[in-house]
Amino acid sequence: MKHLPKHLQPRWRYLAVEIESWPDVAIDRRAFQRECWYAAQNLLGDPGSARADMTVVRFEFDDGVGEAIVRVRRGETEPARAAVACIDGIDGAAVGIRVRGISGTIRAAEENYLGKRRQDSEERNVVFGNEERVAVLRECDADVRLDETFTGATDLDYDLV
Amino acid sequence: MYEAVHAHPDGESTVARLAKTAADYGFEGVVVRNHHGSRAEYDAAEIREEYDIDVVEGVEIRADSPQEAGGSVGNYRTDQTIVALHGGTNDMNRFAVENDKVDVLAHPMADHGDINHVLVKAAVENGVRLEFSLSGVLRKSGGRRVREIQSLRKLEEIVDYYDAPYVVSADPASHLELRAPRELIAVGEQLGFSSEFIADGLAEWGRLAERNREIQSESFIEPGVERGRYEKEP
Repeated sequence: MKHLPKHLQPRWRYLAVEIESWPDVAIDRRAFQRECWYAAQNLLGDPGSARADMTVVRFEFDDGVGEAIVRVRRGETEPARAAVACIDGIDGAAVGIRVRGISGTIRAAEENYLGKRRQDSEERNVVFGNEERVAVLRECDADVRLDETFTGATDLDYDLV
Repeated sequence: MYEAVHAHPDGESTVARLAKTAADYGFEGVVVRNHHGSRAEYDAAEIREEYDIDVVEGVEIRADSPQEAGGSVGNYRTDQTIVALHGGTNDMNRFAVENDKVDVLAHPMADHGDINHVLVKAAVENGVRLEFSLSGVLRKSGGRRVREIQSLRKLEEIVDYYDAPYVVSADPASHLELRAPRELIAVGEQLGFSSEFIADGLAEWGRLAERNREIQSESFIEPGVERGRYEKEP
């Protein structure tokens, strides 16, 4: 089909989103897109969800941290921001999520707001709460493994073995 | 703006991690409000220094009966900056709003709790802040979420009418459950709360902490009477 003349094409805004979870969690683009749609539909309803038209256009997730760019209609960024804030889990894994910023192009969103976090992490033995544990360290953050679950900590909370 | 958090062992992240994430998200401070059975061990001054964010020492008292809560409130009032009470039952809600030693009645509408004009008037009189907990909106789904939103709106109508003091919180128990102030404001707007309402409720924690620190400081003697700086006699 012939595409629309420029003045009739929809105007988009791009939300630069940061995602965080525990180190053993894997999330793919489809799962995140699904959660975006569910969150929008549950919070904004079908009409609001259609108006915002949230689409994941870039997605990257590795070792418990990730970034995404979500495309929304111009003028619907605040409802979309609210919907994104209501995503509390993806595929049953708890996630922290935050809108870093909003841009008019994908490139500006990437350049201004994303790619600032260091990705490399390492596993070390640490002493946390008087017991020796395994922790995944990234910069100053540490996710300490306690039996089945993780505990979020920082370099103030543990000593390296 | 401040956020009131449950830290390890009450929650899943330590005070330092919550404070670091909150600072990154643009909060000015965090209030540590662990339930009194699972207090966190932390060095508030060190965290404040390291992450450039205010850390307020607090407690949330969870008790089955007003008698039990009364003793705990007295015990923690002297050394904690903010004393909150775990609400949600009619007995505990009533106890909290009638007790001027309590700063915050946490999630009064949780479970099957309810609030009416009598309780809100008592809260105004005793300066007890009623909490709007957004945790249900952010982390529940389906019918339970609908009920949470209904009860928040009901609370807002009564609080607005009597101009009662209130606080707003997402009630996070880990750094993953934290949400940035702008996100909370956006969610509030979808629920029909103005952005000023949410921002004001988040800032109220900070004002409360500042007031209580002043009251608990050594120069404070009683309302209106303070030890000032005077010249020493030669």
